[in-house]
Amino acid sequence: MNYNIPKMKHKLFIIPFSFVLAFFLFFTVKAQDAPPEWSVCGACHTIGKGRLVGPDLKGVNDKYEEAWLISFIRSSQTMVKSGDKDAVKIFDEYKIPMPDNANLTDDQIKGILSYIKNYKEPEAKPAETTPAATGGESSTTTATTVTSPQETYGPGNTKATFYIFLVLLFVSLIDLGFTRVLKAKFIHYIIILTALFVIGEIVYVEAAQLGRQQGYSPDQPVWFSHKVHAGQNKIDCLYCHNTAMESKNAGIPGTDVCMNCHNVVKTGTQTGDVEIGKVLESWETKEPIQWVRVHNLPDHVYFNHAQHVNAGKRECEECHGYVEEMDKVAQVNDLGMGWCIDCHRRTNVQFEENGYYDSFTKYHQEIKDGTRSIVTVEDIGGTDCSACHY
Amino acid sequence: MKKYWKSTEELLELKNQDQVQKVSEPEFSFEGLTEDEVKSGVKANRRDFLKILGFSVGYAAVASSCEVPVRKAIPYLSKPEEIIPGVANHYASTFYDGHDFASVVIKVREGRPIKVEGNELSSITPGGTSARVQASVLSLYDGARQQYPLKGGNKTDWATIDKEIMANLDKVAEANQKIVILSASVISPSTKKLFKGFKTKYPTAEVVYYDAISYSAMREANKLTFGQDNIASYHFDNANIIVSFNADFLGNWLSPVEFASQYAKTRDLTNGRKKLSTHYQFESYMSVTGSNADKRFPIKPSDEKVVLINLYNYIAKKSGKPTIKVNRSPVKIDNLAKELLNNPSKSLIISGTNDVYIQSIVNAINYLLSNLGSTLEFERELLTKQGNDRDFEAFVKEMNNGQVGAVLMYNVNPAYDYYNSAKFVSGLKKVGLTVAMSQKNDETSSLAQYVCPDNHFLESWDDAEPYTGFYSLTQPTIRPIFDTRQGQASLMKWAGIEGDYHSYIQKFWEENLYEKQTEFLSFNDFWNHTLQRGVFEPGSGTKESPVYDFTFFDRAGNKLGKAEQSTGIEALLYETIAIGCGNFANNPWLQELPDPISKTVWDNYVAISPNFAEELGLEQDDVVKVNGTLELPVFIQPGQPAGTVSIALGYGRSKAGKVADGIGKNAYPLSQLKNNTRQYEINGVTIEKTGDTYSLATTQTHHSMEGRHIIKETTFKEYKKDSKAGNEDHHELKDKLTTMYPAPDHPGASWGLSLDFNKCIGCNACIIACQAENNVAVIGKEEVKNRRIMHWIRLDRYYSTDGNGVNKNVESDNPEVFHQPVMCQHGDNAPCENVCPVAATPHSKEGLNTMAYNRCIGTRYCMNNCPYRVRRFNWYRYIDNDEFDYNFNDNISKMVLNPDVVVRERGVVEKCSFCVQRIQETKLIAKNEGREIRDGEVQPACVQACPTNAFVFGDKNLKGSKISNHFEDDRSYGLLEELHTLPSVVYLTKVRNTEETGNNNSERMRDEFAS
Repeated sequence: MNYNIPKMKHKLFIIPFSFVLAFFLFFTVKAQDAPPEWSVCGACHTIGKGRLVGPDLKGVNDKYEEAWLISFIRSSQTMVKSGDKDAVKIFDEYKIPMPDNANLTDDQIKGILSYIKNYKEPEAKPAETTPAATGGESSTTTATTVTSPQETYGPGNTKATFYIFLVLLFVSLIDLGFTRVLKAKFIHYIIILTALFVIGEIVYVEAAQLGRQQGYSPDQPVWFSHKVHAGQNKIDCLYCHNTAMESKNAGIPGTDVCMNCHNVVKTGTQTGDVEIGKVLESWETKEPIQWVRVHNLPDHVYFNHAQHVNAGKRECEECHGYVEEMDKVAQVNDLGMGWCIDCHRRTNVQFEENGYYDSFTKYHQEIKDGTRSIVTVEDIGGTDCSACHY
Repeated sequence: MKKYWKSTEELLELKNQDQVQKVSEPEFSFEGLTEDEVKSGVKANRRDFLKILGFSVGYAAVASSCEVPVRKAIPYLSKPEEIIPGVANHYASTFYDGHDFASVVIKVREGRPIKVEGNELSSITPGGTSARVQASVLSLYDGARQQYPLKGGNKTDWATIDKEIMANLDKVAEANQKIVILSASVISPSTKKLFKGFKTKYPTAEVVYYDAISYSAMREANKLTFGQDNIASYHFDNANIIVSFNADFLGNWLSPVEFASQYAKTRDLTNGRKKLSTHYQFESYMSVTGSNADKRFPIKPSDEKVVLINLYNYIAKKSGKPTIKVNRSPVKIDNLAKELLNNPSKSLIISGTNDVYIQSIVNAINYLLSNLGSTLEFERELLTKQGNDRDFEAFVKEMNNGQVGAVLMYNVNPAYDYYNSAKFVSGLKKVGLTVAMSQKNDETSSLAQYVCPDNHFLESWDDAEPYTGFYSLTQPTIRPIFDTRQGQASLMKWAGIEGDYHSYIQKFWEENLYEKQTEFLSFNDFWNHTLQRGVFEPGSGTKESPVYDFTFFDRAGNKLGKAEQSTGIEALLYETIAIGCGNFANNPWLQELPDPISKTVWDNYVAISPNFAEELGLEQDDVVKVNGTLELPVFIQPGQPAGTVSIALGYGRSKAGKVADGIGKNAYPLSQLKNNTRQYEINGVTIEKTGDTYSLATTQTHHSMEGRHIIKETTFKEYKKDSKAGNEDHHELKDKLTTMYPAPDHPGASWGLSLDFNKCIGCNACIIACQAENNVAVIGKEEVKNRRIMHWIRLDRYYSTDGNGVNKNVESDNPEVFHQPVMCQHGDNAPCENVCPVAATPHSKEGLNTMAYNRCIGTRYCMNNCPYRVRRFNWYRYIDNDEFDYNFNDNISKMVLNPDVVVRERGVVEKCSFCVQRIQETKLIAKNEGREIRDGEVQPACVQACPTNAFVFGDKNLKGSKISNHFEDDRSYGLLEELHTLPSVVYLTKVRNTEETGNNNSERMRDEFAS
């Protein structure tokens, strides 16, 4: 198909970049390699970037014994109460008690400590700079399974193709009716038919996109950067969007959640005290911040975060892209029904792991018999209309 | 062969021709719009069509090129711990409005109460509700509620009003004048204590209880004959024989939700139960209860006493007790009396007539049959009806004599519902201080000097003691929407009691109820636990059964046996299922709820039997003048006794709000005071034809099933012989049904619903529950007349008679009645699914017939192809449309909408979804907990609301589940299963406790009347 050529080219053009990028990404991830437990620590501590809620942890390994650190991390308050001199000193300085981490094993804590010890400043890493420098909008995510917005359509190319074929259509119509430069009529017919097909296809695809907001990235009342919070400070998504596990709404955090850290952190690295000031103002005036909603679904669609995040064990970035690399959040996927259904057809449910599926005796039997290897969302009714529309 | 019919017109057709003729119109005309709508609309031709098409395409193009509107996401400033946006909270609470009682659970979404459900932990109303309880949540958002305090009709503030009222009260007290708290029945022990507290501050204060529907005679009779100044509690579930005289105990009498659940237990034939109660109903109008009776006897109100005394005499003779001299009974009662004597302590006789003598005789019969302690008991007293007619009469007299210094009215409206409201109003004007504490500035409140608007129960703290020793708590589920204050809080303020009512209740509970339990060691634990459960039932103490005092007969003298002479036409005033005594009149859901029997909406009327109407020369919709004052249309009601009419109460409000005002006429002025009690049976009524007609909207011929064999019944005798009785054709058909298509594939759950006709009483609670859950629109009387009512579940009411040559008089005078709820049958082979050109209604993997509204283009092919007529079309945009000025047209009422269900646009078809949102929600909970769904865990709104548990919902694929048992029950059958639609809904054949099938009551009645 003629029309597909520019799209293909566009893609081919990206491939070398992707390799380069993938290479860098691989290494950057390798070098940082934060243990998963760090996301809890990172909410209140930095390494080498100064005091947040809790102290800067740079050099903490040299300052205290490992055994002391382990028991402090597990329950700082016990140590304070038992009158440990260092612990009391820290508590007196920072005033805010550190939550207990009684569930962490010694190895896990050691992992965190060695991460702190071996931590290097990220500025030096190419991963931070390369995407901005080379890829423009399109390249950051191409190396991964997460779809980037540009994988579906390049808007500029579509427009050009549309007009080229529109002109071709008219030219051949005029030539057919009046000028008759080309004698062989079948050429006209071929051009007209092809042009009609391409134009029709573009209109169809574009019309299907009406009301969808892929790439939508509105300005927010507070210049809040997910890159700073989720990316650099490694705050877990669920720390702020904490109802995603149990509700249909992931939840926009209230100002009180911001204040957990920002009653201490009053200046930011990028905007100074201007943007954080807005948060403080919201807290003082008791007026919630009116965020602009980025991901909108039509009213006739029922979507439930808990279903996907908790029951389905999906990762946030599968739908939202790498938000931790966005200063300003943009909608990565088109959130259209085709996109939803496509995933429902591809994705396996937690068939063996989740006791809910015990009642699907037929499929269990089929798996036993070897006639079935996977159970997708579609197999359990995930593409029924009533799954999302009621 | 028994014939079934829905209206008198249909009956005529049945008589005139052998085959069933189409009397019902199609549910929509083939042109789509009605004639008026076509005429008033724009005439469009092909060119116009093209123009409009072109314009709309252009408009769509322009509109789509514009930016999508910016939507905000505003979080809580700090999220309350218990609220998770998107997840509902449930709070146990109590519904009591001075009339109905139910322990309930309130579903709250982001701080908005959106649904009332039954509290399954209550032993009184176990999980059950009524239509009015279901609809009470909409009344919370009623814009007609008084939104701020009033002084002399002008807006004022609480501080001013408190200051002035307290000053005035002090003045009245100083002058040693009487202060009267005029209140509807109060079952809150804390409020009663508060009344006492008020009396301590103002010793001249006294409390007068007034109920619009009075049960005063019952208490009085119990006092006179049993020495018990209260109402007994009834146990219908212990009775083999239930005899009711004008008591609509399944619909309105005393505690209908509780009684319905008890009654259904005696009618249950599932789980191998082979016992069935016999229900006799003697009544002067066709009530819901009467429609369920095995043997129904239409009698004139004046005959009730005669029949009762004859029954008493028969029984008294056997036990050597004094008899009462009386006329001969118009109905032969020998067989009934014999049956009763054969079932000692296993029967129950009740009467709904507010007459001391009738209630005394009822007591005597129950006593002689040793029913005390078995089917009724005085150990556990029913406290929900405390109105005292004598007290109120005396109070009105005192007011008129100028002996009352102040009246504080709480939750009463005598200016509307007192029989002599003029006298009440003139008396009220002579009172120095009048204060109204009700939710509305209604007929009575608007006469008061001060209006202190009361909270809705969903905004209030309260407790309730419906029976002695049975407690239920009310907790607020929303902050007061308007500037209102709970009545009790007002009284506390004026009585100078410190603190708020919440802590007042807590204190009462700590002092009085905490000691009644041993489970909790601290009051706080006890309180929190009870609040969470909603109910606390330590039970009543034991008490000896009282002995009937036969000296009462001597004291009563000849008044006891003296029957009222029937003069002219007799009338009976009754409560409807929907509107009740009138306090729910402004609720659009209830106004548009078809009456279970007449199927009429938005009006009250004069019900006359077909023959009597013919005698009087009246036809349906003729307007008549009752007693020269009340102009109402005539409704032809089969089953209404000859020589009588019946009129519904609760209509004709003038200050209830935009929905109720001017709807119907007020029949309360017709009620009378007889033997010092308020009676709703009137003798010697005149009926004059005015010559006008008034068109009533009734749904009884909508959605007709064209006389197919869709309701099945048998007698208990037959059933005992063969459990397949009445359902033979299903069993024949079962093996014959074949198909070339593959069998439906449901790898996981396969949802099914069953309805037990033996338990369904036609109470309509399911309709309102469905409406509340699924955002079903109210469309108004005119649109109902156009056959466009939107309810997803409808209750078809069939009358049945033997069609063979029995004369019309008998047939329509006392037909048997059949209630059949019909909702989408979710056929695995549904005919609607194949005809949709845009695949908007496909079948789901779980056997649901789904409906994607956003895909529907409104061809209505599916409606045409639906054999059950359960699909509804949105002819108009019902939301934000001034033409439909009901609950979808203002921002306050819209808060009741369920956010998980789409509000349908114009031009799409909608229907029952088996509450798929609840199925999905339960599935998700199960997945998150990593377990299978439990049997009975998914409860669609109709199933949850049902007071009798007539519905069962569940997974047919789950072995041993209730629903799969019901599907295999010999009584079960699907509607029109011969069409091979493979419905997921089954009905269980009705088993009546009558002698013969096909030979209905009416014939026997005729014989019994003749004898």
